[in-house]
Amino acid sequence: MEIIKNFPCLSILLCMFAAIISSALKGRGARWLNSFVIAAVSVLSFAVLYLTITTKESYVYVMGHFPAPFGNEIRFGSLEAGMALFFCVIMMLSLNGGRKKLLLEINPAKENLYYIMVDLLLSSLLALVYTNDLFTAYVFVEINTISACGLIMITERGHTIEAATRYMIMSLLGSGLFLIGICLLYDLTGHLLMSNIKAGIDAIVANGTYHTPLLVTIALIVVGLAIKSALFPFHAWLPNAYGYSTVSSAAILSSLVSKGYIFLLIKIIYRVIGFDTFRDSKIINVLFVFGLAGMIMGSLSAIRENDIRRMISFSSVAQIGYIYMGFGLGTAVGMVASVFHMLSHAATKSLLFVSGSGLTDVSGGHKEFLELTGSAYRNICAGLAFTVGSLSMVGIPVFSGFVSKLLFSQAAILNEHKVLPTLIALAISTILNTIYFMKTVIRIYTPAHGKYASASWKENPAYAVTLLLFIILNVVLGMCSQPITDWIAQGLSVFA
Amino acid sequence: MEQLLLWPVFCPILAGIALLFKKEFKQRKTLLVFVGSILLVSGILAIYGIFAVEGGVTLFYLTKTLPVYFKLDMLGKFFTFVVVIVWILAGFFSFEYMKHEKNEKRYYAFYLIVFGVLIGLDFSGNLITMYLFYEFMTLTSMPLVLHNQSREAVMAALKYLFFSFAGAYMALFGVYFISRYGTTLEFTAGGVIEAGVLQQHSALFLTVTMCMLIGFGVKAGMFPLHAWLPAAHPVAPGPASAVLSGIIVKGGVLAVIRVVYQLIGVEFLRGSIVQTVWMALTLITVFMGSMLAFREPVLKKRLAYSTVSQLSYILFGLSVMQPQALTGSLLHVAAHAFIKTALFLGASAVIYRTGATRVEDLRGIGKGMPVTIWCYTIVSLGLIGIPPLSGFISKWYLATGALDSGMAVFSWLGPVTLLVSALLTAGYLLPVTMQGFFPGEGYDWKRFAGKEPSYLMLVPLLALAVLTILIGVLPNGLTEEFAAFAAQVM
Amino acid sequence: MGGHLLANYAEAVAILLFGIGFTNLLLQKNMIKKIIGLNIMDTAVYLFLAEKGYIAGHIAPIVVNGDVSPETYINPVPSGLVLTGIVVSVSVTALMLSLTIRLYRRYHTLDLDEISIRVKREER
Repeated sequence: MEIIKNFPCLSILLCMFAAIISSALKGRGARWLNSFVIAAVSVLSFAVLYLTITTKESYVYVMGHFPAPFGNEIRFGSLEAGMALFFCVIMMLSLNGGRKKLLLEINPAKENLYYIMVDLLLSSLLALVYTNDLFTAYVFVEINTISACGLIMITERGHTIEAATRYMIMSLLGSGLFLIGICLLYDLTGHLLMSNIKAGIDAIVANGTYHTPLLVTIALIVVGLAIKSALFPFHAWLPNAYGYSTVSSAAILSSLVSKGYIFLLIKIIYRVIGFDTFRDSKIINVLFVFGLAGMIMGSLSAIRENDIRRMISFSSVAQIGYIYMGFGLGTAVGMVASVFHMLSHAATKSLLFVSGSGLTDVSGGHKEFLELTGSAYRNICAGLAFTVGSLSMVGIPVFSGFVSKLLFSQAAILNEHKVLPTLIALAISTILNTIYFMKTVIRIYTPAHGKYASASWKENPAYAVTLLLFIILNVVLGMCSQPITDWIAQGLSVFA
Repeated sequence: MEQLLLWPVFCPILAGIALLFKKEFKQRKTLLVFVGSILLVSGILAIYGIFAVEGGVTLFYLTKTLPVYFKLDMLGKFFTFVVVIVWILAGFFSFEYMKHEKNEKRYYAFYLIVFGVLIGLDFSGNLITMYLFYEFMTLTSMPLVLHNQSREAVMAALKYLFFSFAGAYMALFGVYFISRYGTTLEFTAGGVIEAGVLQQHSALFLTVTMCMLIGFGVKAGMFPLHAWLPAAHPVAPGPASAVLSGIIVKGGVLAVIRVVYQLIGVEFLRGSIVQTVWMALTLITVFMGSMLAFREPVLKKRLAYSTVSQLSYILFGLSVMQPQALTGSLLHVAAHAFIKTALFLGASAVIYRTGATRVEDLRGIGKGMPVTIWCYTIVSLGLIGIPPLSGFISKWYLATGALDSGMAVFSWLGPVTLLVSALLTAGYLLPVTMQGFFPGEGYDWKRFAGKEPSYLMLVPLLALAVLTILIGVLPNGLTEEFAAFAAQVM
Repeated sequence: MGGHLLANYAEAVAILLFGIGFTNLLLQKNMIKKIIGLNIMDTAVYLFLAEKGYIAGHIAPIVVNGDVSPETYINPVPSGLVLTGIVVSVSVTALMLSLTIRLYRRYHTLDLDEISIRVKREER
């Protein structure tokens, strides 16, 4: 049991070394190494999850020889371990789903570079999940950004380079705010370890001094991370970045990268600022309003899109809005709902991206709806998977989206002041979701006369299996939500 | 023993899914035998379940407090019974009708799936299970509307989908609040929310109830969200439009009964603004539906408008919140299910044999297809409310219930509207019969000669006509059950 | 208020610089000017940190003559942070510059809006 406590650190290092080794490998070797690393990290994370769930505690792992408050720490409970496992699973599935497409879209000589970026991304995600040190978090936020930028621009088309540049600029603005926020926190409390900062902040709040600086600091950190995770109205970079990059990248970016930042934010809310302090600040209302606006504006933009990939991307804006809306409710139940929605959205959005690419492939590479007519018959697996993803997004029971909507509304009802706006926005956003997703589903199931060749699943069994696993994941999230929400609640309770 | 309840739900659903993925059958006959036997087996299982099973069974827990739970009460048994009869009869009718249609296998697959989903809807023992199957009913019945995939069908299906989902989400809004404040989500006579809580949040609960009524009312074609129905029902293949109009709309009725009588409770709603508004909406719909049907030249569309009108008869009876009216409503559920299915099947038989869709093309049809048109006439008379047919009994109960309700305006306005609408019903249904048998001087009788369809089509029609008469002549068994149910919930 | 500002003039300047850098990164159209803005922003943060770590009259944290009392030295942690930060900002700047070079080779302009227009035109 004792050895398991080394696993979080080990998994981060494993990914980093894999990235370094990959630079000396050919594409094929890098690919295998990457798969191996993701599988290994999944196993490690599972062991950590098992440990933390059985003991229901969270552990601190001291890096190096200096104990708190000077050294660097890793801290993990069941939520962190579960998140790490979930990230690995989604990453593995997204990569498998887009593997064949990737080989077609990039220069074969650069394949190993792609896997370096993926390895780095995974390591930074794991670090964001596990670290207990704010400055370490900042460094890994930047690593995350750089590797995400690499994932976007790997195809080296004009669109992707431009999208990567814009993504980079917005991200740098966000991390600049985040950095200055950390420095101010350090100034206020004199610490960098999350738990110690919390003690300092509690003292400040108890004294009543430095009220405004604290508020400004919280605002800087929250806004910084909100920009990075593409909360409306900071989402301008998103549709191009998700819409034109290769499908694995889009799936990974939408379901993991933004979630990594959100997870860091949750961690900061609980472990640095303190949930009560956060709830009593005004920032929570700002998040609530922007979340609601995002839910509706994202869907409206998605309706106007004529490009399936960009439509799915805009739907991400709406779903990120849901998550921030859950933060804005300011209840523990709302937090649980938000975390569940992170899982549900990650599973569904990557499914949609991967299946969407299958549909565009059998439509001559066109992404316009007119060309997609009847594509579900040409690629049956992709059509089915896209339908499942759409139903989940629309919120049909049995699929994961329904449960998160249920949890959000249950959380909203507990908050007297915010219940009506929340429920109304949920209803409007759901109906808008229905409009564009069902429109697409009917479009792909409308028969068209053999303009394009169809693809059998036998040509690409890995793709079909990936889609199947995605569907199973989605249904499991939708049907067995109780243990999952229990786990989230337990994880959050030992978070602080 | 309770597990028996799962069989009739999942047997057709799984069979349908298997059918979807199976390769085309070599012989059409194999397909028909498969579908027919699944229909019969699950029908028999469902009927057996009605009589043999007492308890409930939990399938799984959505969350800790939200089980997916099946349990049969009187209402569920009654609706299941109606669904099973009509579904099997229309299924056998399809065997002939779908002969020349494309994608026959897909049609039967979804036909079976919807069958299972409907039985699940009727079996559901709590709100969340009902909502789940209600959503699935919308989704799985959409391919039936979409079947011929013409542009018109796609537009109609989209309309169907958006109206239904909009309605379902309005209802979901209510589900949230009921699950928050209710003591349980299981259907309980008289409501699940304590009176004190209801009084404390009365404005909230009135809003919630109105939302749920309008939301579930979408499926039942209630004004103002009725526009999808005349678009969606006629574009489906004949037997499918029959069950859409005869059975699936009743899903909305079932949901409304559950909400009003078994979740919110009549005590709270009686005399409230919600009751008044709801009643007004139903009466508007009754009248408007009849008028639109009267003006409509295409027979299937005319029947669809008639559904709008007749469904609101049922809703009107429910909105009166009086035992007799409730009995009348439930009777009308059965009567309308049999009659409207028979009418649509008759119209489909005519289209199938002659291709005529408009009423004025049907002059002299009675000579060529006498049995079909006789069945059509009998059930038409039933819908108009001529004694001793079933529509008469149900309308009688509805009218007396309304008169006894003691409400100021509606106690007489309701029966008057029903009467006017009955006249209009005669006006839009009987021309087919009259012109069919008496086309006037100098008519060429050869046009429709020998067009009578095969037994596969005639037997379901005859069976439905006989049922219409039977309910009219021998309603006592049913009315006693309904009265007992009414006494329980009021 | 004014007194506080004067006493903490270095922090005030740092925040002012941060604002200047931030605005440049956000609003400039020219890629090079954006990158300059990025660097101003980051440097402002380092100035802030360095100022925080400095204690007037204390010396650099290198132990001489075995004197380990905290009163002798300045706080070394912010200096460490600055070093780490510089590494990060250098790598980010390098990435941005490489992106700029690629865009310039392809579209012969440094104006980001103009690039967007040309990208769209190229797609058609």
